[in-house]
Amino acid sequence: MPLQQIWEWSYSSKTIDILRNVKYAIPLIQSFHLFGLTLVLGTTVVFNLRLLGLGLLKIAMPAIAKQLWRLAVGGLMLSIATGILVFIPDPARYVANTAFKTKLVILLAAILFHFTVFRKVIRANTPPPPRRAAGVAAVSLTLWFCVGWAGRAIAFLG
Amino acid sequence: MPILSWCHWLQNTPFATGIRQSDLLFPLIEGSHIMTLSLSVGLIVLFDLRLLRLAFAAEPVSKIMEQFVPLSLPGFAGMYVTGVLLFIAQAEKVYLNTLFRFKLALLVLAGLNALFYQVKFYPKMAEWDNRGVVPWGARISGALSLIIWACVIALGRTMAYEL
Repeated sequence: MPLQQIWEWSYSSKTIDILRNVKYAIPLIQSFHLFGLTLVLGTTVVFNLRLLGLGLLKIAMPAIAKQLWRLAVGGLMLSIATGILVFIPDPARYVANTAFKTKLVILLAAILFHFTVFRKVIRANTPPPPRRAAGVAAVSLTLWFCVGWAGRAIAFLG
Repeated sequence: MPILSWCHWLQNTPFATGIRQSDLLFPLIEGSHIMTLSLSVGLIVLFDLRLLRLAFAAEPVSKIMEQFVPLSLPGFAGMYVTGVLLFIAQAEKVYLNTLFRFKLALLVLAGLNALFYQVKFYPKMAEWDNRGVVPWGARISGALSLIIWACVIALGRTMAYEL
């Protein structure tokens, strides 16, 4: 895939010019990116607090998983879609940014973990043994919050 | 304007200057301000969605409130502490920022909306919760909360572009 050509096309595209030139277009898109972050990190915190037995004990784990999984996936979709919109007006800046590249790698790992191991554990009718629950929660929280922190670092690493 | 001169003094204190000029501290505080969205607004949103029957419809509202709302309090505490630190570091510019003033007004509105729920609907919650029907006023309060917090996030993100 000629990635270079895609960057060049999107940098010169007239349509994408709108994103660059309309005042507040990018901050507005980033606001929606943060709505997605609130849902993804918020549901992740809820799943893990329950998994660790630190709260929400009166609601069964599978019920929490069933009710909030859609919100987690919806938030993720919203963040990915808006993330792409922030990326395309200025691709060269992002591909050269170490924090951005790190973020993509961690995001991929987080998604992979969330939709396999994590989903299975939170949907199970029998809770995992405490040590396994602690391990799963540690991986999940570390991955998702590192995605957030790496995202924030993009702005500070130029 | 006395407030402006106070902001000028505040941001030139060694404490404020220290935060503002630190390569590590400022991004860390700003990042924490955003990450605590998960524990504060993230949890309040779930309660609002229950009021609107969009999540946990099978569970009583009182149970969802009791389970989720106390957990959001440390989140809001972290949010306000980091927010105040960010303000101190750039007090003068932030004070003059129009979007910041809108954000502050909406935060007050969010507080009043929560207070309205506490005074008007919380005392009789057991009663309407047993009937399984959320009063219209409580639903409107939940919807308002969602809208206000979305606007607070958007204003917070956008005001940073004007600093």
